[in-house]
Amino acid sequence: MPLEQAVGLATDIAILSLLALSAYLVLLVGRISFGQQAYFALGAYASGMASTLAGWALAPSLLLGAAVGAVASGLLAWPTLRLSGLNYAVATLALAEMMRIALMRLHFIREVDGYTVGPQGAEGFRDIRWLLENDVSPGAFLLLCLAVLAAALLVLAWLRPRRLGLALRQVGHDEVLAASQGLPVLRLQLLAVAAAGALAALGGGLYAHRATYIEPALFDPMLGVHAVGYALIGGLGTALGPLLGVMFDIGLLEATKVFAGWRMVVFGGLVALFLRFRPRGLLDEATVHRIGAAWRHFRRTS
Amino acid sequence: MLEFLQRTLDGWLEGSAYALVGLGLTLTFGTLRRLNLAYGATAMLAAYVGAWLYARQGLPAWGVALVVVGLAALIGLYVERLCFGAIGSGGSTQGHEGRGSATRVGGGFDGTEVVALASSFALWMQLEQLAVNLLPRHLNAFPDLAARTEWGFFGLYLRPDRLAVAALALLITLALTRWLMHTRGGLAWRAAATQRTAAGLVGIRVGQVQATAFLVACALSGVAAFAVLSLEGQITPMLGMWMLTKGLVAAMLGGLGSVRGVLLGGWLLGIVEAHAQAAFGAVGREFATYALLFLVLVASPAGRSGLLGRGGLRHAA
Repeated sequence: MPLEQAVGLATDIAILSLLALSAYLVLLVGRISFGQQAYFALGAYASGMASTLAGWALAPSLLLGAAVGAVASGLLAWPTLRLSGLNYAVATLALAEMMRIALMRLHFIREVDGYTVGPQGAEGFRDIRWLLENDVSPGAFLLLCLAVLAAALLVLAWLRPRRLGLALRQVGHDEVLAASQGLPVLRLQLLAVAAAGALAALGGGLYAHRATYIEPALFDPMLGVHAVGYALIGGLGTALGPLLGVMFDIGLLEATKVFAGWRMVVFGGLVALFLRFRPRGLLDEATVHRIGAAWRHFRRTS
Repeated sequence: MLEFLQRTLDGWLEGSAYALVGLGLTLTFGTLRRLNLAYGATAMLAAYVGAWLYARQGLPAWGVALVVVGLAALIGLYVERLCFGAIGSGGSTQGHEGRGSATRVGGGFDGTEVVALASSFALWMQLEQLAVNLLPRHLNAFPDLAARTEWGFFGLYLRPDRLAVAALALLITLALTRWLMHTRGGLAWRAAATQRTAAGLVGIRVGQVQATAFLVACALSGVAAFAVLSLEGQITPMLGMWMLTKGLVAAMLGGLGSVRGVLLGGWLLGIVEAHAQAAFGAVGREFATYALLFLVLVASPAGRSGLLGRGGLRHAA
């Protein structure tokens, strides 16, 4: 595989991993969201508009996107979080679709340096050219994406054994039990959902700048359902699970074009079979624990 | 005024098709407490095979109808075995939280619910790809049973074929409700849906009941797909997604699991969509669908969603 293609593929994997991580965060606190693509879209539009229309640099644009994603996600979680299970999943799907349709109505065109730029409703948002104008090579952009992903993973890994991480996991495991032990369940869930919105929006911002062109139709439910699928296939045991799911789908199956038009036939069947025997994904809690124990044993003996 | 009535009538007819589509979903959810995401794709693959036979082998319309309904049930069997088969077979297959744990009432989901969602989603992708591989073009011919005439009365117009679909939806709903509420077989279904363990103890073969309900639901999806497609005379790859979203919205509006509810939910959805389209255009129509769904979900009291009370397989959630 030529290097250029490999770099592009790795960038895709990193960006999608952010989206899968955001779905994972919501799953962690006991909800399934089919609507994370909405915050991905919000981040893409917000940071794209900041860098093209307002002339901001990439980093502040991405941060703005993340902030918009976190705020929107937190606010919308307020009425929805009291729904459970399937109702929550469908409510997030409905919200995401409403957002996508609203983006089709978003017209905000301005002239910047002789070009007219900005979102043009259903026709999309062209020329998000910050990377080209500032001569950022694909390799450097890949490093940026990987750095963002690594930072997100490090934060999650750091939180995992700490009070907050354990509390989040406990809320996901059993809300009533968590509440009876004095944990602020709703606030913890809001925190996780807002963080998930920020992660998805970060991914969206990176995506918009890499693709230079975005349109509302890109952010359809398929994207969000895929994100949940990645998290579930990879496993809910650690934050590495969603990554594994993305790599399995994009890295292994899409990159190697062995199956061509039959990719989904093979992949879909494999996943369904796989989940039948490993319902909590490849890296579930038990496996993570076992790997950890084996590693400690290995360190002690060597 | 007349225009308003006409629009309402059109919406009601369209809504009857939604109700027909949603019936299978609500039946699956009622018996299994699981959402089958592969629902639309199952009907779509069956309809694609029907369209293929129609175009290549010259199968007549009634033959296509039989093939679509039969195949939908057959593909349903495959989906059930792979994604939902483990649910009825005993406590050990339940998620890590155990079945019906009292502390789960407040929220969250159990392990098998997530797994069923994920694996039925995977099969959705698989079945849709199979259908597209069979007939790669975007538009494909389907037996056309659309009526060429319109009936007019008091200044209102309606197409008899759409009326037939509405009658079919009403008929199936009534028959199903009657069967569920007034026969011993229906009682067994309801018992298996409400209290799996207790139903097993009184001698109901719960796994078998659930599998049968699943097959019936998939066969119904085939009926719905054939009814909707034969009005259009064509089939596109959008069918799977369309059936799932419209059916799900109709079923959720009426309260997922309620057989009567899905009829009313479908009607409501159709009428609201028709008026939204007149007021705000095609984009507004789509927006109205999801806005209505969201409002109903958020505004309904905790523990039970939907506009209507019980009926059919609906029970305390």
